[in-house]
Amino acid sequence: MIYLDNAATSFPKAPSVAETVAGFLASAAANPGRSAHRMAVETERRIDDVRLRLTRLIGGDDPRRMIFTLNGTDALNIAIKGALAAEPDGAHVVATVVEHNSVARPLRALADAGRVCVTWVDCDEQGHVDPADIAAAMTDATRLVVMIHASNVTGAIQDAAAVGRVVRAHGALFCLDAAQTIGLLPIDVDAMNVDLLAFPAHKALLGPPGVGGLWVGPRCDPVMRPWREGGTGGDSSSPAQPVEWPHRLEAGTANTAGIIGLGAALKRPIEGRLAHERELRRMLMDRLEGDGRFAVVGPRDSGRCVGVVSLNVAGSDPHDVAAILDDSFDIAVRAGLHCAPGVHRRLGTFPAGTVRASFGPFNTEADVDRLAHALDQIA
Amino acid sequence: MSQGLDRYHRQMLLPGFGEDGQARLGHAKALLVGCGALGSIIADSLCRAGVGCLVIADRDVVELTNLQRQVLFDERDAAEATPKAEAARRKLSAINSQVRVDAVVDDVNHTNIERLADGCGVIVDGTDNFETRYLINDVAVKHGVPYVYGGAVGTVGMCYTILPHTPGGDAPWERIGRATPDLRDLFDQPPPPGSTPTCDTAGVLGPAVGVVAHLQAAEAIKVLLGAFEAVNPKMVHVDLWANTIRQFDVAAAYGAGDGVCSKQRRFDYLNGARGSGVTSLCGRNAVQITRPDRPAGPIDFDRIADRLRAHGDVRTSRFMLRANLTDGGEPYELTLFTDGRAIVKGTDEPATARSIYARYVGA
Repeated sequence: MIYLDNAATSFPKAPSVAETVAGFLASAAANPGRSAHRMAVETERRIDDVRLRLTRLIGGDDPRRMIFTLNGTDALNIAIKGALAAEPDGAHVVATVVEHNSVARPLRALADAGRVCVTWVDCDEQGHVDPADIAAAMTDATRLVVMIHASNVTGAIQDAAAVGRVVRAHGALFCLDAAQTIGLLPIDVDAMNVDLLAFPAHKALLGPPGVGGLWVGPRCDPVMRPWREGGTGGDSSSPAQPVEWPHRLEAGTANTAGIIGLGAALKRPIEGRLAHERELRRMLMDRLEGDGRFAVVGPRDSGRCVGVVSLNVAGSDPHDVAAILDDSFDIAVRAGLHCAPGVHRRLGTFPAGTVRASFGPFNTEADVDRLAHALDQIA
Repeated sequence: MSQGLDRYHRQMLLPGFGEDGQARLGHAKALLVGCGALGSIIADSLCRAGVGCLVIADRDVVELTNLQRQVLFDERDAAEATPKAEAARRKLSAINSQVRVDAVVDDVNHTNIERLADGCGVIVDGTDNFETRYLINDVAVKHGVPYVYGGAVGTVGMCYTILPHTPGGDAPWERIGRATPDLRDLFDQPPPPGSTPTCDTAGVLGPAVGVVAHLQAAEAIKVLLGAFEAVNPKMVHVDLWANTIRQFDVAAAYGAGDGVCSKQRRFDYLNGARGSGVTSLCGRNAVQITRPDRPAGPIDFDRIADRLRAHGDVRTSRFMLRANLTDGGEPYELTLFTDGRAIVKGTDEPATARSIYARYVGA
């Protein structure tokens, strides 16, 4: 099996992940922060170590601001709903047409409930959003700007630093969805003026599923509310959820096994991963571009992309192409809308969607060659 | 004669039946899986015979092309697209109000079959596909419930009663030496997708179904009466066009086979490991059906294409077969791939997609 579905979840995981998770569950799976016995303390220490390394990875300084969540979607829900909870009805939010449903649906739900109104900023023909359009969309009522760092459909990387500058100048909060970029692109929340950074562990970080992270910047402190309350370990006597980080947003037992597995994955350096993916993308683009049988959706320039190629084969349904790739060529890709219908509407691939090949650190040039050969046979 | 039993007078006259036998039927419960051609005749027979409770499970709705042989349904059911289980319940309650009929409008699968079969003295086969039959077989052997297999297509049909071997060896039928091999003793694997004809592609003669269904109903009544000595241990094969009725002695299959269910007590279909998978394809009004294993040989696209041409436009390539079908007035696009998986477009209901697959691809 040639696995080219790393944008859905990376596979294989970093080599030590499975072993670490199994070892933890077999020998030391105590509940951090709940008890004072040695095993609980040791678990807490290991969790806090992962918290610290994640914080450093994204340029943060205080690890208490790194919240563990269930996944990227959970992190985004906590971020969006938490940041807007204290706002009166009618707060304005800016997002883009390329958002994943994990942003689009929470915003839609808030809008349907009359809590917010949302402006969806357009992208260009290759899927890039102009930061000036974000600036233009913001009003006096704008409280939050949410943007995906790189599209899971086209791979297009947005200029998050430029958007961060305009949002900071305006005064609103900036939430960045780093699902497709964490573990690939350097992220610096300070330099990029990010207030909320949401991400999953199981994509380019090569960690297990069931863990996500949300970094909460200091500008969120006055407004951020939990949307889930409960046990946090410390200060049980207080009737209200603690306001301290990370407990304010971390009620309930965390996925300790998953977090410790992520810790194992983080030991692998991320340098070179983006360049590798881009090189594979370039190779595939070279094989497809100029061939009338294929239509690639998204950036021509792989230098403005992560390792994702969305394409269509003329006259073929993407689901059929994906099924044939799996069935006859043993190549795993994903077909359809990839949970991001907006970008397909914008780029003319709605409702059938696209065939998406997404690369990871373990893919090789030979994999690209096999895919290109298979597509040639199918078309 | 006890009140309420008058209506059963003619069958109580039969030797070994009597009021006691009738009372046994009245307290019995049967699961009927599938209520199409076989199932509607079986249901009608068992209801008229006074089986106390009938659980009838079927995922399909009544269509006009069913009426040629599916005796419980009428034109109004087809016009209203009434679910078969529900249409059957209505008809049967008018035929015999003493019988309780539970209509289950659902796909029978590994998550629900044990619940459906709970308390049943027999499971009767009215299905149109082998995956469900192997699932029934697992439940029957696991819980020691007799299973009356039946199938009909074209002008031929088969009936066979499985009185399963149990770990204790002390089921009533075992005590008189009447246990029979189960489906996996006979054939470890179901036939590969597309290798067997289906009623929707090869056609079916109504009376052929009737013969098989009545054989099954008679077997079910014997089982529920506890008359295991009268249950046919042989597999019956009838061909109403070639005018043959044959019986096969299959008893040796129990000793000869691996006995995956009967001896190893492994129930691959019931634990979900061997069932086909269904995935609704996001926003496409389409469902993908995948097989648990790659079939041993390549799927014969040409043969399937020949069968499907009567139903619509069919194209094949090295990689896939594409058929545009009309079923019950609804258009479906069926795309079959070389490993037996299929994408059914025109529905986002897994049960509908499974039904289309069973009826047009088969197995």
